[in-house]
Amino acid sequence: MSVVVANRLSKMYQVAEKEPGLAGTLRHFVARRYKQIAAVREVSFELGEGEIVGFLGPNGAGKTTTLKMLTGLLYPTSGRAQVLGYVPHERRSGFLKQITLVMGNKAQLIWDLPVLDTLRVNAAVYEIPEVEYKKRVAQFAEMLAIEDILTQPVRKLSLGQRMKAELLASLLHHPRVLFLDEPTLGLDVNAQVAVRDFVRSYARERGATVLLTSHYMADIEALAERVILIHEGRLLFDGGLETLLDRFAPYKEVRLDLAEPAPAGAFDAYGEVVDFEGRSVRLLVTKERLTGVVAALLERFEVRDLTVDEPPLEEVIGRIFAAGAV
Amino acid sequence: MSALTAKMRTLLSVYYAYMLEYRAEIVFWVLGGLVPFFFMAAWSEAARQGHTAYTPGEYERYFFAVFIARQLAIVWANWTFSDWVRTGKLSFHLLQPLDPAWRILADHAAERGVRLPMLALIGFVFALLFPGALVWPGWAPLLLGLAASTLAFLLSFLVAYSVGLLSFWFEDATEIFELWYVLMLFFSGMLAPLSLYPEAVQRAVYYTPFPHLVYLPASYWSGLEPADPRGFAVLGFWTLVFFAVARLLWRAGRRRFSAMGA
Repeated sequence: MSVVVANRLSKMYQVAEKEPGLAGTLRHFVARRYKQIAAVREVSFELGEGEIVGFLGPNGAGKTTTLKMLTGLLYPTSGRAQVLGYVPHERRSGFLKQITLVMGNKAQLIWDLPVLDTLRVNAAVYEIPEVEYKKRVAQFAEMLAIEDILTQPVRKLSLGQRMKAELLASLLHHPRVLFLDEPTLGLDVNAQVAVRDFVRSYARERGATVLLTSHYMADIEALAERVILIHEGRLLFDGGLETLLDRFAPYKEVRLDLAEPAPAGAFDAYGEVVDFEGRSVRLLVTKERLTGVVAALLERFEVRDLTVDEPPLEEVIGRIFAAGAV
Repeated sequence: MSALTAKMRTLLSVYYAYMLEYRAEIVFWVLGGLVPFFFMAAWSEAARQGHTAYTPGEYERYFFAVFIARQLAIVWANWTFSDWVRTGKLSFHLLQPLDPAWRILADHAAERGVRLPMLALIGFVFALLFPGALVWPGWAPLLLGLAASTLAFLLSFLVAYSVGLLSFWFEDATEIFELWYVLMLFFSGMLAPLSLYPEAVQRAVYYTPFPHLVYLPASYWSGLEPADPRGFAVLGFWTLVFFAVARLLWRAGRRRFSAMGA
């Protein structure tokens, strides 16, 4: 049975338009003009129990709007959203107690008080018994390595510590469905890894379903086996990561480390030059030509090192979005 | 203990800690509420010159009671809610199984806990400056005055919260509450005891909430004039009206918030 259902989900916004200057302000005051913006257009997908799915798209693609419709913060203009059998925007208590939304750019922690105070409030709001509350805090704090900071005011914490504390506060009630919107935004590499590990452990332990947006492909590669791509409000792709790479990256990345610097343009005939810095070259070569190209490169240049890899996911996704359609 | 009581107890204790962080600001808020003492000085001077119906001591007692009644009923729910809408903090509260109004109510109640010791200190200084002005009103008037003051707080809270809810429609609706404050300033007994107002004015505003917000508790505590217990009914009626208004605005506003972009 599907835990999350988006069925031809659409969201239109009405946005007021105003020209600059005094004349524009007066016109805006007297006769306001609006235009309709389609943030999400007929997006459909389903998530099963325990699935971790990456939700990708450039800025303004409609990811956050979709997450807000699935968490009940927004009413869909048309289409149907269903999570754990509930209609999200009805905000039934049974629904709210089983979901969470973590937003990397917004905080729910009480700024001037220690983290523990927000946790106490959340424990009360979600009716978590005292003993269970203490057990969960201890367990999550250990997993996130933030035992020492729980008694410190939130305003004194680093961004990484705050995000970990946000995660703790958001998962304290053991939600079954996690909507994570850029949970690693702005974090350093170590903090990103810690957040990823925590989400993975939590989801595995509790069989939770996760829909995750992130600009860091490392998050997606580490956590998700399936990705949903959205662009300009439309669904572009929904499937496994492997399928995505096979379908949209019919090339391999060839990295060369040369003994002597080569002239510019020396590699144009072999593939698409992505990076070129004298002795270091990065090429994208179609899979059919790969063997021939590698042989030719080794024959023509004095090569110190040569590696062949899948191209970085960022690049693949970036190319798909740049093309605009699939 | 019901689930809601348990939630409110935790919210109160956490918001009390939160308000303690802002104790310096609260001192200034309290000092900003000393306005009734300026009116007290003016009316006492007039009394000394024999121009009014009451003695200087009666004015001192009355305006101290006005000061306390006003301090216990101060609200800022309009500002808090509007801030939540503008900054998007409301989204987090909407994701939790608790009506956001309870958080703001707990915030106000906890603040009273920080404000009360300061009021006690002001009362002490007042008693030193005006010996004999403060007299024990008796248990019944004290408790009835507290009940009137609590009802006045509840009504003011619901009005401020309703104004805050207008932020769903207007970019900044908080200033609408100023209108409430101006009407209260003129018709609640903050400027002068209402018994000194022309009879026609007293009759015209009687069924509005304003004459009962401050004058009713202040009458119980100061004993300047016999308190009119029908004021409870008027306050109760308006409290129910604004409770209904707040619920309606909440329902319609939440739908709009969700439509325009949370």
